[in-house]
Amino acid sequence: MYGRHLTDLRLVAVLATVALRAAVADESIDYFETHIRPVLVESCASCHFANDGEVQGEFAVDNRESMRRGGKSGKAIAPGSPDESRLLTALRYENAALRMPPDGKLPDDVIEHFRKWIAMGAPDPRDGAVIDIDSIAQRAKSHWAFQPPIFQEPPVDDSGWSRRPLDQFVRATLASAELRPVEEADRRTLAKRLYFDFDGLPPTYEQIEEFALDDRPDAYEALVDRLLDSPQFGERWARHWLDVARYADSKGYVFKEERDIKNAYKFRDWVIAAFNDNLPINQFLHQQIYASPELTVAASDDQLAALGFLTLGRRFLGQQDDIIADRIDVVARGMMGVTIGCARCHDHKYDPFSIEDYYGLYGVFASTSEPHPEGQPPLLQDKLHPENVGVFLRGSRHNRGAIVERGVPTFFAADRGNVTDGSGRRELANTIVSDDNPLTARVFVNRVWGHLTGKPLVSTPSDFGLRCPPPVQQPLLDSLTVDFVNHGWSLKWLVREITTSSTYRLSSQPTHEQLAVDAENDLLGRAHRRGRDFEAMRDAILFVGDRLDTSQVGGRSEPIDTIDGGTRRTLYAYIDRQNLPSLFRTFDFASPDAHCPQRPTTLVPQQALFLLNSSIVQGISEKSVTELADSPVGERINQLYRAVLQRDPTDDERQLATQFVAGRIAEPAATNPWSYGLCNAANAVDGSSIDFQPLQHYSDSKWQQAQEFPHAEFGYLSITADGGHPGRLAEHAAVRRWTSPSHGKLHILGEVTRPESKGDGIQVIVTSSRRGLLGEWQLSTGKQEIKINLPNVNRGETIDFVVASGGNDAYDSFQLPLRLSLRTPDGMQVFDSRQGFHGPLPTTLDVWAQFVQVLLASNEFAFVD
Amino acid sequence: MKGQLLPVPSRREFFGKCGMGMGSLMLSQMLGGMIGSRAYADADRLAAKSPHFLGRAKHIIHLFMNGGPSHVDTFDPKPMLAKHHGRPLPIPNLVTERPTGGAYRSPFRFAKHGESGIEVSELFPHVARQIDDIAVVRSMYADVPNHEPSLMLMNCGEARLVRPSVGSWVTYGLGSANQNLPSFVAMCPGGYPIQESQNWQAGFLPGNYQATYIDTKHQQIDKLIENIENKRTSRSDQRRQLDLLAQLNAMHAAERSNDSQLEARIESFELAFGMQMEASDAFDVSREPQHIRDMYGPGVQGRQMLMARRLVERGVRFVQLWHGAGQPWDHHDDIEQGHRRLAKECDQAIGALLADLKQRGMLDETLVLWGGEFGRTPVVEMPKEGSNQGKMNGRDHNHHGFTVWMAGGGIRGGQVYGATDEFGFRAEQNRMHVHDLHATMLHCLGFDHTQLTYRYAGRDFRLTDVHGNVVHDLLA
Repeated sequence: MYGRHLTDLRLVAVLATVALRAAVADESIDYFETHIRPVLVESCASCHFANDGEVQGEFAVDNRESMRRGGKSGKAIAPGSPDESRLLTALRYENAALRMPPDGKLPDDVIEHFRKWIAMGAPDPRDGAVIDIDSIAQRAKSHWAFQPPIFQEPPVDDSGWSRRPLDQFVRATLASAELRPVEEADRRTLAKRLYFDFDGLPPTYEQIEEFALDDRPDAYEALVDRLLDSPQFGERWARHWLDVARYADSKGYVFKEERDIKNAYKFRDWVIAAFNDNLPINQFLHQQIYASPELTVAASDDQLAALGFLTLGRRFLGQQDDIIADRIDVVARGMMGVTIGCARCHDHKYDPFSIEDYYGLYGVFASTSEPHPEGQPPLLQDKLHPENVGVFLRGSRHNRGAIVERGVPTFFAADRGNVTDGSGRRELANTIVSDDNPLTARVFVNRVWGHLTGKPLVSTPSDFGLRCPPPVQQPLLDSLTVDFVNHGWSLKWLVREITTSSTYRLSSQPTHEQLAVDAENDLLGRAHRRGRDFEAMRDAILFVGDRLDTSQVGGRSEPIDTIDGGTRRTLYAYIDRQNLPSLFRTFDFASPDAHCPQRPTTLVPQQALFLLNSSIVQGISEKSVTELADSPVGERINQLYRAVLQRDPTDDERQLATQFVAGRIAEPAATNPWSYGLCNAANAVDGSSIDFQPLQHYSDSKWQQAQEFPHAEFGYLSITADGGHPGRLAEHAAVRRWTSPSHGKLHILGEVTRPESKGDGIQVIVTSSRRGLLGEWQLSTGKQEIKINLPNVNRGETIDFVVASGGNDAYDSFQLPLRLSLRTPDGMQVFDSRQGFHGPLPTTLDVWAQFVQVLLASNEFAFVD
Repeated sequence: MKGQLLPVPSRREFFGKCGMGMGSLMLSQMLGGMIGSRAYADADRLAAKSPHFLGRAKHIIHLFMNGGPSHVDTFDPKPMLAKHHGRPLPIPNLVTERPTGGAYRSPFRFAKHGESGIEVSELFPHVARQIDDIAVVRSMYADVPNHEPSLMLMNCGEARLVRPSVGSWVTYGLGSANQNLPSFVAMCPGGYPIQESQNWQAGFLPGNYQATYIDTKHQQIDKLIENIENKRTSRSDQRRQLDLLAQLNAMHAAERSNDSQLEARIESFELAFGMQMEASDAFDVSREPQHIRDMYGPGVQGRQMLMARRLVERGVRFVQLWHGAGQPWDHHDDIEQGHRRLAKECDQAIGALLADLKQRGMLDETLVLWGGEFGRTPVVEMPKEGSNQGKMNGRDHNHHGFTVWMAGGGIRGGQVYGATDEFGFRAEQNRMHVHDLHATMLHCLGFDHTQLTYRYAGRDFRLTDVHGNVVHDLLA
């Protein structure tokens, strides 16, 4: 009623004004209608008509009163005083930060009309009350995430289902949707889930069985506690934080300087230790901003590596503005879930952060310097003379606005934290972990919830701003957050609280009702099935293949995209930010270019190709079976199931496995048509009686008879991609053999070259296993073309290209590129001797190793229920 | 919601709502395709608004002459340089990376070609034969005269910050047309260009939108694509493995109803199996008839252009071909010999690519873009100790004005757009910024560049940021 009454009163007032004006100034109204209104509609409406939707800068031009009131940056029109009207300043493009319309200045005559109009007193017949614009500041006052989290007494659950307070919230929301939680997952599933969440590794068969058979009432909690104490806990959880911290071991693009960031891994190791030692998270965060209160850092202090959080970002070829932007972003989004980086060029469009706030933070980081002591990652310390900077209008450092006091955004403290001495890092760190900060703890708890359940309660874990709606489970999140803070910001407490809940222990199998009502599982009536992330997947493969070395926690980063793939946990992989190996990207690794709120989850064929074809997985599969070689088939199948999937096979599975390993002997993978040998040239001339013997040794991209080269007996006898060299004797001619893979019409085109003119030349013979001699040439120097057509070659027929010395093998090095075109009913196949050149062919993977590979590729291995 | 990457359960919900049978769905629709389909919806909405400009192009081939080819020696003839050769220009030299001197005439002859009579230098005789299909843009400009930021600008629309490359945006927007091949392929023989794999980065888009890099110096398929070949298991053995895998996974899934991720992963193995064959085929240019290979010419350029055609033919969205590792076209000195050598390496192959696409009816839906990260100065670069010491026969970087050309994909060929000043220093008429080029390219694909967005760190980002205008004069 009150509102309506007010509106009525305003209406009366407006009508009165209109009547008055109409009486005195018909002409000026005409002026408005002719010169002003069309421009407002055409050039301003798309951003400043409340009637049309969003209003930029909180400035609406819908009616007179709204225009007079102005926008976020103040009054727009001073009737009668054009030069004091911001509207005109904007139209004239006088202030780089305030130019309207933004996509191009209006014609001068139009601007002149506006000047004249304002000078007339800005007559405007458009009635209506001031439009109530829901300003950012207003909305921020009531935005859920900007209010301190409040502990709520959890709703009573008298079903006996709830174990922890958070369960009571879950039970209540489920009940309100007339849903019930699913059954608890079985013991073996729970063991796998816990090991995955705490260690990132699968348990062994024995560990699972021990837990499954442990009938003590607190067996579950005991396992939780044991896992919390394992050093692998810190490793697993460190990687989660490294995603937040956009950790990498390299600087990004550099021109000539050193590419590595020396000792970056010390930051990673500091995080591992912090989590293993259960360092309170408020201190954990604080140290990453302000570990070095003194002006000069003490190089020996391990705790200083915490500062790597700020310093290990991309280096942008040393561009300070970009380095600082990266730091502001990682602090704002990573620690507090707000996107202050958006205010680099202009006030944030959606959240209560102004460009001044951004340059307040910029001043903080600009007031630090970056020492890089021996044995440490780059660190931060305050400069002796801190500075305040002017805002960069539109993000340009060449266009400075007013100086801003360095410090925290006014959203957190009206006085920017009242920085008097130092860079302001201290005040920033204090603000982040302050009891008054509504965001930090909530953002952290939400991340932990996401890691443990596969789905954070707030679906945008690094953006809790105005566009983030309250989560369905806000009372749960808030209460858990308050509890977390009350428990001394203890990560281990939080992990324990969540994982000992009934909610965490639910099965991942949905009921039909749940699928119908809550397909997304927003109400948490079941667990989420989760795919192993990159680290967990690679670690698990190495672990079940007995290749994983977990003895050492921490240490230097190592490349893992090598042939054998290394033996350390994936956490210790060298992260090359600039050219991240495709293996990482294929498996959805967090991009180290900038803070990563959440990893994408994709399933692409390249992942399958890695599991099927990589030498790493093949090698591990092969190794897993060698020790079992003597056991009976049934026993071997059992053992492999236990090793890879930590359980015994079912009868059906055992039968499938038995069939698989018995069904067929592995056949050679690559039947390569090219092979390399030696023969007696005299026999080659005889045609079919050629005595081809494969060459025995391959090194330096060259086939030869023995490691010794040149060899006492065989001399320089060798074959390379391009050609080769015959042996000293005619009995040691070099033979390049091609075996036809199918029946067809063959066209041979080649060219033999003997570049040297000294010596007594070479003999070249081409011969077929089925039809004898095809051609013979003597070549003392230069080139000889070889061109042979065979209308029908058989599958398995060999064509030999024999080169023998003429008695003296000096200077007999030759080139012999060949191109064989085989026309079959299926089409044309081309065999190029240089492209097809190969070293020793890999051995065929044994059928048992193939079987292990299938288990490693299985969905059961890839997912955690 | 536009362009938001969705977590797995949302897909489940999506399919639940659509009532689709999971088994029949291809992985594409579950993943890249899902994302793409959202963008598609946007593109469709746009198309309805402006049906005259419905995208013609479905693929892009970007021929990247890295290092910066000289426009005044290739596609932008400036006879005035000959008049002033060796003397200062009557206008002041613009600021470029290094000190420059007087006018430096082109050592190459220009002649008119085709019905359009567009002038092309003797460096590109084969390209010149296709000139009536080419729109030469002589009024390009960028922001700074340095390689790194200019490469980033040309490739990602932003000089310094990490942003997705054009190819990533295109793949994100259009989705994949062939699940058996990567959708975005970057080829560079002998190693990376300057700025390395950032040139084809996915930025904040999911990592799978990054290009698959191929070192075309190699010819063997297993060296071209990681894990594409199994050297130790025969195809029939692998088939047996996959059959067993499918049986085990089916038993596993039977106890876990309604989980699309499980289905999607099963599907991904079949796709991988097919990919092994198809990728080997796509990259194996020796399967082309001799006359086609002869047409593209010998050497790595011919090979990679032919590969590009084979890839596009099979549905690959974006192929970027770099001339070579480092910055080969960067001729601060000896430009005559240098440009002659490089043009000779690639001219025949480029001409063949255009002719070949056309004869197959593919040019219409394939946008071919030729250019570098900037052009070169019309004035000579002054000798400098340690770089071009003792030489006055090269040109410095020039971002004030340069040339790119486009063909196919909805571009109107046989035209020259824009012009530099009479010496070729600065773009004067119809100036076209790199953002405008990007806007136009996206337009050719059917996207409004202001609408193809991705929400990241609290903002809806786009390739052209807050810039870019579509140049309609270039369109057919």
